[in-house]
Amino acid sequence: MSAITTSPISSVGPAIQPTQLPLPGRGRSRLIRRQEGWGLKFVTPFVVIFLLFTVLPLCYAIYTSLYTNKLVGGKSFSGFANYSAIFANGAFWSGVVRVLIFAAIQIPVMLGLAFFFAVIFDLGLPRFGAFFRTVFFIPFAVPAVVGSVMWCFLLLPQFGPFTRLADTLGFTHTNFFSANLILPTIIVIVIWEWTGYNMIILYTALKMIPDDIVEAALIDGAPLRKIVFRIKLPMVRRAIVMLVFLNVIGSLQLFTEPQILGNFEPQAISFGFTPAIFIYNTAIGDLQDYQAAAAAVVLGLVVVVISVASLVLRVRKKGLA
Amino acid sequence: MPLRLYGLRRGTLALSTTACVLFAIFILIPIAWILINSTKTQANIFQSFGFWFARPFEFFNNFKLLFQDVDGDGTYIRWLGNTALYAGLGGVGASAFAALTGYGFARYNFRGSRFLFYGIMATLFVPITALTLPLYLLYTKAHLINSIWGMILPSMVTPVGVYLMRTFVEASVPQALVDAARIDGAGEVRIFFRLALPLMMPGTMTVLLLSVVAVWNNYFLPLIIFTQNNLYPLTEGIGLWSKLTNASGDALLYPLTVIGGLVTIVPLIVLFLLIQRYWRSGGLLGSMVG
Repeated sequence: MSAITTSPISSVGPAIQPTQLPLPGRGRSRLIRRQEGWGLKFVTPFVVIFLLFTVLPLCYAIYTSLYTNKLVGGKSFSGFANYSAIFANGAFWSGVVRVLIFAAIQIPVMLGLAFFFAVIFDLGLPRFGAFFRTVFFIPFAVPAVVGSVMWCFLLLPQFGPFTRLADTLGFTHTNFFSANLILPTIIVIVIWEWTGYNMIILYTALKMIPDDIVEAALIDGAPLRKIVFRIKLPMVRRAIVMLVFLNVIGSLQLFTEPQILGNFEPQAISFGFTPAIFIYNTAIGDLQDYQAAAAAVVLGLVVVVISVASLVLRVRKKGLA
Repeated sequence: MPLRLYGLRRGTLALSTTACVLFAIFILIPIAWILINSTKTQANIFQSFGFWFARPFEFFNNFKLLFQDVDGDGTYIRWLGNTALYAGLGGVGASAFAALTGYGFARYNFRGSRFLFYGIMATLFVPITALTLPLYLLYTKAHLINSIWGMILPSMVTPVGVYLMRTFVEASVPQALVDAARIDGAGEVRIFFRLALPLMMPGTMTVLLLSVVAVWNNYFLPLIIFTQNNLYPLTEGIGLWSKLTNASGDALLYPLTVIGGLVTIVPLIVLFLLIQRYWRSGGLLGSMVG
């Protein structure tokens, strides 16, 4: 640090860190006020667009959801009428149940695969590990739309290569878009898209485990399975919790994959196949803006509640541990 | 850790490599398919063997089609330009805002800064669907449907970017350095541009990359706010074609969709392969995990 010369700051007093307040009795010094002003200046541009494009729309959505369109008289205040309509709507709830089932199956399978591969890469078991890791991560660079389109072509009824393969294996007339198979199909697509990403995060977390702990366990004669499940797994718990959290939020908002599948086979995807599709169809298909607003608010609330609840659970657990 | 210490049977190594090979095949199948079938005519896409080429070899003809407006259903090149515009402006804006804001939160202590920061982070809990539909409603009211700024500006709002930049600034721009510059009489703006920003570069680049990819892949927002074909980004365009391939009987749309998909993913995959060396250091993902 350079010596304090006759700079204007010396008239205020010795150089102070922003985190230190000046001596009591002097009030907030000019230096502090100046820095506060600058802090606000740096932050304000973002806050402005944040308010315009996040907060304002949310408020407008809540406002809109309280109105309906009457044939006579146009827009009129209707309180929670839209909400009761949604809660009574079977299509909406079937979608909610569906994404919950989807999440319950897809997340454990995908995280299981991701953890398995992360572990073997971390152990250095397979040959050409770096090459495989790169390959597994490629789907992350593929937009969900294109990934879904590619899989749809592969699974087209009658003509798709996989359908033909199923045919030769004896499963004649397999329709991957049928009511029985559509959800497993979407699960496979999502696993294809996201396993690499989850795996890389777990791999990075595993790499951060200090070697001495593992060495100590080896010296104690621990078998590999114990090392993986009793030592490594608990130490990456934070990463796993974060991934479960992210994947649940993502699953509840499932939209792109079923939407594209619906483009190929409209019969396969119902009006409220997922909550997000329900919102889209209500707004764009039916032009029911008010209803769609209410549905969006409901979906938002559900996700927020789940997120906050899981956060509270995590904090509680840490407190107990 | 040397493998022999784990006392593994030799079979385990072979098993691991086999598992990797199988999963790699699973990952590469759609990509191989799209590569091979972009060279076929519509008839061949359906009739020939999916995983090998067939005559005639139509790759260059199919590629040329991307530059034309096929039967009024949209021009791929136009969509590519749109996507580049939205992702470019959106990404640059997002990382600029994130840098400014992260710096402001990290190196300044102003009243209400904690409240403001947590308020911004709180919106991460709100799902994207619930944030996008309200935008559509607002745009309809304000007649902003089919405005490119309606797509670009919301893309610049990245709470994740602000969080990442704030963490990065705290780690890489020492408070002492900033204070020293202040004592030397440097103005705040000068400190930011000359001192902090060069140090923040790796973080800013990461946010830029993430934002560009996010805008490039965004499907729901453009789907809802664009009704004019020539404004569509690639995601929406390909989605539209996938709908039309079944609805209309247009024979050209099938190979078009396939090659369109291929051209969409190739630059991103190449970009990723080049950048992944940068990520290997674990910097970004480490900050997410830790």
